[in-house]
Amino acid sequence: MTRKFLHVENFGANIPYYLLPFRFHRINETKEVIVNEVDDFLVVPVGTAAQIIERKINRREDATLYGDLLANFFISEQPIPELIDVLATRYRTKKSFLDHFTSLHIFVISLRCEHTCHYCQVSRVTADKDKFDMGREHINAGIEMMMRSPNPHVTMEFQGGEALLAFDNIVYAVERTKQEAVLRNKKVNYVICTNLAPLTEEILAYCKENAILISTSLDGPEFIHNKNRHKPHSNSYQLAVDGVMKCRQELGEENVSALLTTTNLSLQHPEEIVDEYVNRGFRNIFLRPISPYGFATKNAGKNKYQTTAFLEFYKKALNTIISYNLNGYYIREDYASIILKKMLTPFPVGYVDLQSPAGIINSVIVFNYDGKIYASDEARMLAEMNDFTFLLGDLSVNTYEEIFYGEKSMELAEVFTNESLPGCSDCAFQSYCGADPVFNYTTQGDTWGHRPTSSFCQRNMEIMRHLIELMDSDKKIEKVFRSWITGKTDAIKN
Amino acid sequence: MRTSLTMAIDSRIYSEQVLYKCFYWFSQDYTVDISIGEGSFYNVLIQPNKENTVVDWDTLAEKVKQQLIDFKLRDIVSNETKTIRELIVAKAFACYDIDTTPQTNVSDPVGFIPAII
Repeated sequence: MTRKFLHVENFGANIPYYLLPFRFHRINETKEVIVNEVDDFLVVPVGTAAQIIERKINRREDATLYGDLLANFFISEQPIPELIDVLATRYRTKKSFLDHFTSLHIFVISLRCEHTCHYCQVSRVTADKDKFDMGREHINAGIEMMMRSPNPHVTMEFQGGEALLAFDNIVYAVERTKQEAVLRNKKVNYVICTNLAPLTEEILAYCKENAILISTSLDGPEFIHNKNRHKPHSNSYQLAVDGVMKCRQELGEENVSALLTTTNLSLQHPEEIVDEYVNRGFRNIFLRPISPYGFATKNAGKNKYQTTAFLEFYKKALNTIISYNLNGYYIREDYASIILKKMLTPFPVGYVDLQSPAGIINSVIVFNYDGKIYASDEARMLAEMNDFTFLLGDLSVNTYEEIFYGEKSMELAEVFTNESLPGCSDCAFQSYCGADPVFNYTTQGDTWGHRPTSSFCQRNMEIMRHLIELMDSDKKIEKVFRSWITGKTDAIKN
Repeated sequence: MRTSLTMAIDSRIYSEQVLYKCFYWFSQDYTVDISIGEGSFYNVLIQPNKENTVVDWDTLAEKVKQQLIDFKLRDIVSNETKTIRELIVAKAFACYDIDTTPQTNVSDPVGFIPAII
């Protein structure tokens, strides 16, 4: 066999290199991060990006950095890199969430609710079942539209109000979907979002039989949960905690999840909230900021806290979570995990708030109790405030094509890629972040948004910067973060 | 009390595009007016959005200079890599068969030839 090597001049120090697309951002006074077109990043000393661009990185004298830049597609020794097909495949993989189009179909099965949470994002009603439950004809039309999705795996999520108050509707919808799914060769996952207060043995048995996942709310310890999620003449916290235990026993631990909604009260208790999740045996916690929709905006005093206060809360809670992991208790923070998966793996994440093109329509669609169709759950909440900007149509009137490829969807397409948004197009965190025209419209009055004053931008940029800084500062933390993506806890102990 | 900062920025060094991208990020706290000045210079007038705001003008000027350099660097990368970026995206979404053997002049010194496996 012939052994061939490149000519000796190829190994010299002065070979000119070519730039490949990358962006940079200062993460602190001494370090900056450079991110390439397919989301790989390197943390380097401040000024390195300038040196790369000015062709001051020397192949021999800066051999390690030069090698890293070459291997990670920041520079190339050919005008078109030999491995451009690899780059293209990586890029395609990052956008593969688009391959099958809409997956999450939210059915607002009833607007009725027996809780009176002060931050409730939908206007709850307690009576008149006929008026505020989804009609059967709308359920049928919603299922038909869901079955038209090109996606072979769809999720049918029942929301409220309190979804379990209309359990008969849920049973009807699941039974009908099961039949349709066989005919259309679709795999359907079912999720019920519930506060668990109306949970019965009969409901649990049905969920078990049909592999229905339960998503509930736990805002922290009793004094926070009950303050946030008021249920007249009842202890909402106890109902939620008891419900979680019952669901775990019947459905299995992995089929029950809890979401946290952060309020002004929560901001003062980051450690206690994390402790509560650990004490209740949870292995994940989702530190969500309150959304600026529905009742949430009306109660300004309680909910319009500054993003900086949320970030302070988030960092303290994250520190507590990291400490638990370092001390041997595995618990994952979900928002960080979504971002870390984007940073540390070649794969996209199916999280609608951090996608470009945006999650609205492409990944999620909402069928409201009255048959109206909205671009996202947040768009529906906006409609509860009598703003119908993101109303796409009506289940009893419009066809699939009119909804998904109609004029309104085309209008939204103009503003749902962050690659083309002012401020985002040059941002180093562009590919880890997303576009959210509904949030922009709600908080700033237009769908394009203004990044310097956007709380979405402020929050995400700082969380991403913070995660990179943490990984760079302590390899043990990076191991914890990697375990959140892989689920393998052994790496932390070594 | 000083209420504004005026900077003359040489258009031979910083393009209009770089200027707008840079000062966009100052619009949270400041109103920025960009106009064409004498010769090859742009005049940039920076005023705080809120009256009676105490501004450290020297620090602000330093920050502007740093941001101008950063956005100029971003502009260089963007311009130099425009074609390759378009090529990556075009290849990524083109309908083509990727199972063909990659053509490369990299040798195979240890005899591992994927094509024959």
